[in-house]
Amino acid sequence: MTRSVAIIGGGQVAAVAARTLRRRGFDGAITVIGDEPHLPYQRPPLSKGFLQGREQSGDLILIDEPWCSDNAVDLRIGVAVTGLDAFSRRVGLADGSSVRADSVLFATGGRPRVLPGITSERVVYLRTIDHAIRVRDTLQPGSRLITVGGGFIGAEIAASAHIAGADVTMIEMLDVPLKRALGHELGEVCAQIHRDHGVTVLTGEFVESVRDVTDGVVVRTAAGREVEGDLVVVGVGIEPNAEIAATANVSVDNGIVVDEFCRTSVDGIFAAGDVANHDHPVFGARVRVEHFDNANRQAAAAAMSIMGRRAAYDNVHWFWSDQYEFNLQYAGHAPVWTQAVIRGSVTARSFTVFYLQDGVVKGAFAIDRGEEIVWAKELIAARATPDPAKLADEDLDLEGLVPLT
Amino acid sequence: MTDWVPVTAVRELQRRKKSLVQVGDESIALFMVGERVFALRDVCIHEQRSLSKGAILRGRVVCPGHQWQFDLETGWVEEQERCQPTYDVKVKDGTVYVVPVPRIRVTDAGSAVLGSQ
Repeated sequence: MTRSVAIIGGGQVAAVAARTLRRRGFDGAITVIGDEPHLPYQRPPLSKGFLQGREQSGDLILIDEPWCSDNAVDLRIGVAVTGLDAFSRRVGLADGSSVRADSVLFATGGRPRVLPGITSERVVYLRTIDHAIRVRDTLQPGSRLITVGGGFIGAEIAASAHIAGADVTMIEMLDVPLKRALGHELGEVCAQIHRDHGVTVLTGEFVESVRDVTDGVVVRTAAGREVEGDLVVVGVGIEPNAEIAATANVSVDNGIVVDEFCRTSVDGIFAAGDVANHDHPVFGARVRVEHFDNANRQAAAAAMSIMGRRAAYDNVHWFWSDQYEFNLQYAGHAPVWTQAVIRGSVTARSFTVFYLQDGVVKGAFAIDRGEEIVWAKELIAARATPDPAKLADEDLDLEGLVPLT
Repeated sequence: MTDWVPVTAVRELQRRKKSLVQVGDESIALFMVGERVFALRDVCIHEQRSLSKGAILRGRVVCPGHQWQFDLETGWVEEQERCQPTYDVKVKDGTVYVVPVPRIRVTDAGSAVLGSQ
């Protein structure tokens, strides 16, 4: 039986796992080790409200010192983990100390993928609160912001910067942003939302160099286009922080490989959140998900698994993105699809699109239709094969298409 | 002591399962599950979306904005440990009545309180 837990990482997964362990009655030792010099905080606002100045650092805190003290959680922040002995489950820390535990949870998340060969001081990656403060403090009416990457994070940064009054240029590598996730047509819909707000969206452009000039930078693309700005914010994805696990001989392949109970290849070692490449019963595939809701839910699942109260983690992944006046949501996992069924009006920007693979609903994306995403998650979880005509028919309730279990 | 205020006909609510009513300054979301009626403040405590546009799923209303799931009876959101104000509600002679005074019923997991907000 587990009498002690060490959590490597100090973000969402760490906070939720610690809280879940205590709320579910775990009374052994809990140590949380985070390398950032901050209390565990939530990251979603970093590209949204925090960047717009609507939320402050304190609003983002997940667990604070009084809570840790009341709940006997040993919170060690500002110290990196240097190694793990998988056999004894002893975690080595950069300050020379070590923590031994019966169970170890990897909650190490990821780090921003970097643009190779780009070294300018005015190029920022957005992952931590320190990054976000740097961007926020640069944003003001008339400042010129360049975002590299037109994915959901890049799009949120662009929208937030625009709301803060900046002149924004988005540079996207693909011919249409979000093309792989949403398809050409709907990716174009998302791009047009930015254009309508006055953001310059450049597509099919690779960043070749960033050159410092007197009061800013010049980004040069492979096609020879040059864009001048005060700051460049790059959002081109993350790399999972799996190196410590790999050196401890924990199986790693696109993140730390775990089963549906958040267990790694080594007894007593678990992983959850952005870093965990998990076996998903609904999709019958391995998935690594870089979203807040997954971090929350998988952290709770890992905590239960650590306590020996296992339930397969089969949550249908979900995330949202707030951009300008629009609320975008995505549910499921549809890397490919054979049919996309649209319910609602694309031109009115109020619709849900269902992605079907051989008739089975695998994913759904909605603009301002959060209620339909609730039912989409139910359809996906049930591996439902609804009549596409009914899915598209707004006179029919989606609830009625969910198979009874 | 605030009195019961009639807000809608039960038949009307039965048809649509959810409804938004206005009583003075209070925007109230009504939900019907089976024979039971629930009343919560319409504006989500999280980001000001409208709960009456949400989905009712397994005894909870799911906010369309960010999928927070509110217990229909208490307004409690398990995963956030926060509580949406609710209203006393009753059905009499085919009419739904509410007391338009918002109440926070739960302040933390496991402990219910009954004071007004």
